[in-house]
Amino acid sequence: MSVAADLTDSVRASPPAPQTQVGRRLLRNPGVVAGAAILALMFSIALAAPWLGTVDPAAINPAVRNKLPGYEETIRNADGRESTLVHHMGTDTLGRDVYSRVVYGARASLLVGASVALISVAIGLVIGLIAGYIRWLDGIVMRVMDGLMAIPAILLAIAVVSLSSTGLRAVIVAIVIPEIPRVVRLVRSVVLSVREEPYVEAAISVGTPTLPLIIRHILPNTVPPLIVQATYIAASAILIEAILSFLGVGIPPQTPTWGNIMAEGRSLFRIFPHNILYPGILLALTVLAVNMLGDGLRDTLDPRMSKRL
Amino acid sequence: MSGSARPVLDVRGLTIALPSGADRALAVDRAGFSVNASEIVCLVGESGSGKSVIAQATMGLLPAALRVAGGQVLLDGEDVLTASEARLRELRCTRMSMIFQEPMTALNPVMTCGDQIDEVLATHTALSAAHRRLRILEIVRDVQLPEPERMIASYPHQLSGGQRQRIMIAMALVLNPRLLIADEPTTALDVTTQAQILQLIRELQRKHDTGVLFITHDFGVVAEIADRVAVLRQGEVVEFAPARELLAHPRHDYTRMLIAAVPSLKPRHREIASGAPIVLSTEQLTKTYSRTGWLRRGADVAAAESVSLEIRRGETLGIVGESGSGKSTVARCIARLIEPSAGRIMLDGVDVAQLAAGALHRFRRRVQIVFQDPYRSLNPRRTVGDSIVEGPMNYGIGRDAALAKARRLMDLVRLDPKSLDRYPHQFSGGQRQRVCIARALAIEPELLIADEAVSALDVSVQAQVLALLDEIRTQLNLAMLFITHDLRVAAQVCDRVAVMQQGRIVEQGPVGELFEHPQHEYTRALFAAAPGRNWAFASDGLTSAG
Repeated sequence: MSVAADLTDSVRASPPAPQTQVGRRLLRNPGVVAGAAILALMFSIALAAPWLGTVDPAAINPAVRNKLPGYEETIRNADGRESTLVHHMGTDTLGRDVYSRVVYGARASLLVGASVALISVAIGLVIGLIAGYIRWLDGIVMRVMDGLMAIPAILLAIAVVSLSSTGLRAVIVAIVIPEIPRVVRLVRSVVLSVREEPYVEAAISVGTPTLPLIIRHILPNTVPPLIVQATYIAASAILIEAILSFLGVGIPPQTPTWGNIMAEGRSLFRIFPHNILYPGILLALTVLAVNMLGDGLRDTLDPRMSKRL
Repeated sequence: MSGSARPVLDVRGLTIALPSGADRALAVDRAGFSVNASEIVCLVGESGSGKSVIAQATMGLLPAALRVAGGQVLLDGEDVLTASEARLRELRCTRMSMIFQEPMTALNPVMTCGDQIDEVLATHTALSAAHRRLRILEIVRDVQLPEPERMIASYPHQLSGGQRQRIMIAMALVLNPRLLIADEPTTALDVTTQAQILQLIRELQRKHDTGVLFITHDFGVVAEIADRVAVLRQGEVVEFAPARELLAHPRHDYTRMLIAAVPSLKPRHREIASGAPIVLSTEQLTKTYSRTGWLRRGADVAAAESVSLEIRRGETLGIVGESGSGKSTVARCIARLIEPSAGRIMLDGVDVAQLAAGALHRFRRRVQIVFQDPYRSLNPRRTVGDSIVEGPMNYGIGRDAALAKARRLMDLVRLDPKSLDRYPHQFSGGQRQRVCIARALAIEPELLIADEAVSALDVSVQAQVLALLDEIRTQLNLAMLFITHDLRVAAQVCDRVAVMQQGRIVEQGPVGELFEHPQHEYTRALFAAAPGRNWAFASDGLTSAG
């Protein structure tokens, strides 16, 4: 018997580690690059809001109600001198500066989007791992999740918000709940397929206890699809927050969010469309960016999923 | 056929380029061979040798990433490489046909088998529906399927693997093509089914004077049906000769190496360790799966029934059987990856069959398992070093000590100890299987289970891994449970063999006795079906026994 080509043949000259390959592929994906750029811009706007020529977004000024974009207001400062304030996006029915409100509104939208995505992924991940790994709990947990999924998300959110007081925290909780079942389903399906992999069985047979087994061998497989799912959740959370605020059950009107700015503008939409137009454009742009990022991540991280969705 | 007749398929200097960044520049490098009418030419090669690419190029089915860089593929004198897409569509099925490895995925699951054959006829002939039906029934009878009427009304999932492959063959031959390309058509089938399909291809090919290009990696199959053989290595045809001549007197070193690596069906004589202590025994081990849902209760299926075995130190017990015979179920029960439904697994006087997770921990380190698929047996996100030290660290050994041990084990399985920090994708299939063996040995088991551990490997690599397993068993005085479907492999590594059929052991005994005088009817059927059984491969010094 010939002993050996493959004995002597050394390990292949090192191709790049999987991590760096993914990084390079991400940078080559136009969706990822464009989406991330727009989001980065939105985040910097939200963070730098006070320094972008804004005034107090909650300040009411009955003298300048319902002005068109570009209206120039003369202000008397504390020291008695006069200066001009330009309302780039006009003012609303209470005379608040729409530009300032839109810029500050980015904070609420992005905060809701990011925190809903993080919280629902964190909770869903834990429940999904349990449902996928502990077989006898699976039936019970999944029926509960099916029940949650059967309730329309907006309706559930409205109910949750009306049970507690309105406010940012209530809105986040209200949006997180209906998103959890989707994350649970995703995580569970990954766990179910990965736990059959021979490398997981091999780890069991070398005596790896359950918790390290899940963390070392199963959990990492859920990360790529979860990153993708998180972006979709963020996009839908931003939209749902806007809808809730628009319906008047979300964040109280003194805190500007794109949703309640649009709600304010609704009654005078025909005469002063800018109250809805500007926050609408930013909202659409943000959601588009998040979705572009999500699609790009999906194509790069998990090519199989592009067929499934 | 007279020698002057034009060959059905003439491949001349075929060169196919791989996309840049692949492991070599050319998938196929100036390959040349021919197939005459009523002749079977086997194209043999290991995985990655480019044999399927040649078939795809001939059928005009090359993946977009591959590009023909030169040469000709003449089908009855017509170059198919330059043929238009329309012309290729005309040629397929009428002049050349192809059958694939996996008959389930090659058939459309939502069309009846009859409709799929009918589609071929409707596309290429002007026959009326009634005539087409007659022709379909005739060809289904030709491929020896029982109850043709019922067969053509069936959907693919209602048929067995062998029956599906017969439908594929019927579809391929219904228009009497001059050339049939068979790409590993029996690899996914059990050995008894494989024997029937090989015989069927042989018969039909003689009856219709079809030229057959038969792609395989199995020299047993080659010995069984080939008239001529082309040996492919990394896209190059290194030898092209009549089968008898090539098998008996291989001229090229590579061919010689491949043939030498084919394990012989003749058992190797070994001393049986009959006095050695029993490491593990099972008594009436049974695993039944009940198809229970939340609300309904279905029938029970016995995957393994009343299996009693014993394995002694220093001994290799083989379990052979076809797919679905329950051999892997037994292995997984013994490794306690699944819970047996009944029976006992005795390890040092303790029944471990029903132990709970906590008590099982102590037992686990004594039985280890190596799986079939080297590509899925290692966590792709962890270095091989992390995979190997995981076991020892679970049993309280410090990381440094475990790593030192891992380096010694890498030496033992003949891998470079410095490559411990590499990831699995940087290793070949055979190397990964060595890593898996090192991982299993890291916690010093007394029993090593090899569940089809060499089945996914190329024959030359398989021979090396088998030799390694054998050497390790001797060196460490291990008991080994060797699960395989391949009688040749069993003959080479096992001391005793148990034959399983439908969840039961039908026969067990010392390998020499069992191979020379099989008692059970099923065992005899297995031997009768083993491809190339009449051909003694060079590994035991003989040339031809047939």
